[in-house]
Amino acid sequence: MIRLVNVSKQYDDLIILKDFNINFEKNKITCLFGPSGVGKTTIANIVAGIVPVDNGSVDGIGDSLFSYVFQEPRLLKWNNVYDNIDFVLKDVYSLEKRVEIIESYLKMVELSEYKYYKIDALSGGMAQRVSLARAFAYPSNILIMDEPFKGFDYKLKNEMISLFKRMWNLSQRTVIFITHDVEEAINLSHIIYTLKNRPISIVNRLIVNNNKEEIRSLLFNL
Amino acid sequence: MRNSILRNKSKLLIILFWIIIWEILSLIINQEIYLPSPNAAFSSLLNLLYNKNTYITILYSTYRTLNGFFLSCALGIVLGIICGIRKAAYDLIYPLIVIIRTTPVMSIIIIAIIWFKDTNVPIFVAFLMCFPIIWTNTVSGIRSTDIKLLQMCEVYKIKKMRIIRTVYFNSSLPYIKAGMISALGIGWKVTSAAEVLSLPKYSIGRFLYDSKVYLEIPDLFAWTIIIISLSFLFENLLKYIFKMGDKYDKVS
Repeated sequence: MIRLVNVSKQYDDLIILKDFNINFEKNKITCLFGPSGVGKTTIANIVAGIVPVDNGSVDGIGDSLFSYVFQEPRLLKWNNVYDNIDFVLKDVYSLEKRVEIIESYLKMVELSEYKYYKIDALSGGMAQRVSLARAFAYPSNILIMDEPFKGFDYKLKNEMISLFKRMWNLSQRTVIFITHDVEEAINLSHIIYTLKNRPISIVNRLIVNNNKEEIRSLLFNL
Repeated sequence: MRNSILRNKSKLLIILFWIIIWEILSLIINQEIYLPSPNAAFSSLLNLLYNKNTYITILYSTYRTLNGFFLSCALGIVLGIICGIRKAAYDLIYPLIVIIRTTPVMSIIIIAIIWFKDTNVPIFVAFLMCFPIIWTNTVSGIRSTDIKLLQMCEVYKIKKMRIIRTVYFNSSLPYIKAGMISALGIGWKVTSAAEVLSLPKYSIGRFLYDSKVYLEIPDLFAWTIIIISLSFLFENLLKYIFKMGDKYDKVS
């Protein structure tokens, strides 16, 4: 379990977190649900160690490795699809192992035939699939997804969600999933935290099982 | 295709226009010592082109320019990357760059004559004049690197050297290329200037100097045309190499 204990964080005069506590269960998909600008990304970045805390502690990280699917794909545009995934694996695996892993993940996201394409030549959805493949190809324990399907149309979003589910079932990691989209939250998560600002506080902790309808109406009425 | 022919045609007409202006001016002045006619300059040029020594001279001057240019690229890019990433290194190097940039070229040439052998003076001066351009452009390029990509590298625990090689270097490459193109043009100019004062045996600068001493002004113009042509040629060669590099990049 990852625990944020009494964490405080402020940017200049803007208090984002004040004595904030939250738990993320191991190998579960936990959703941070709340309006844009509430500071969900800050929580995720504190877990990932990109943002230092002013006060409090983050427990249960140990020497965990992270992967991250950002809002934008954040790929190296001068490299091709294959090299973009290879870039994060180079320090971890041998060449043969990398070839094997990259090929299998490219197959999973259905981009095998695009592996030598430059990033500029891909559509937004394809680029985000590369980013997803990169995140899963990397041997992380914790995966952070920060509104990764934002701006996608309904069909593409559903495709990405089912793709993500398939990949997660094959390699179950601790996932922190940030969204303000009700359907995404319900379809992907095991646990949903609804948040409000400011400073951030948890409104509800919802466990998703057979109560999807109930949660849906609750989230819509927030 | 047709467009490019038309473009070339209009370019040719523009050149012709300025040559006619030159001709008219020289007719008005009517003193070869002040302004030789295009005819005189081009026949001098033709004479030079029939002389083997001209080519040896061009070769030596080219060697000096390129030597200074490549030295400045190597040091400018390496130091530029370090200074772009580390503020402390930038603060340390910056005053030196300001001094080099503001010191008159002539002062640098004269100092170099005291320090070096004649043939090395132009190399040193070209190096010193090109270096700040490459350095400044590299620093700007490094600083333009997308912070979001650097964050991604941090999350995936990419080693620093690989971040520099892949992310920083590629982000700053367009800036470095632009810097190299402007530095090369300056390189030709200052190499000739340094040659005029240091007078190495085979050098365009020495011929410029001789034509002044012997008042062979058409020769002076002919050598100037040669320098301009060389500068133009090498600048386009560099642009072509960059373009080919981009094309290869797109294919691979």
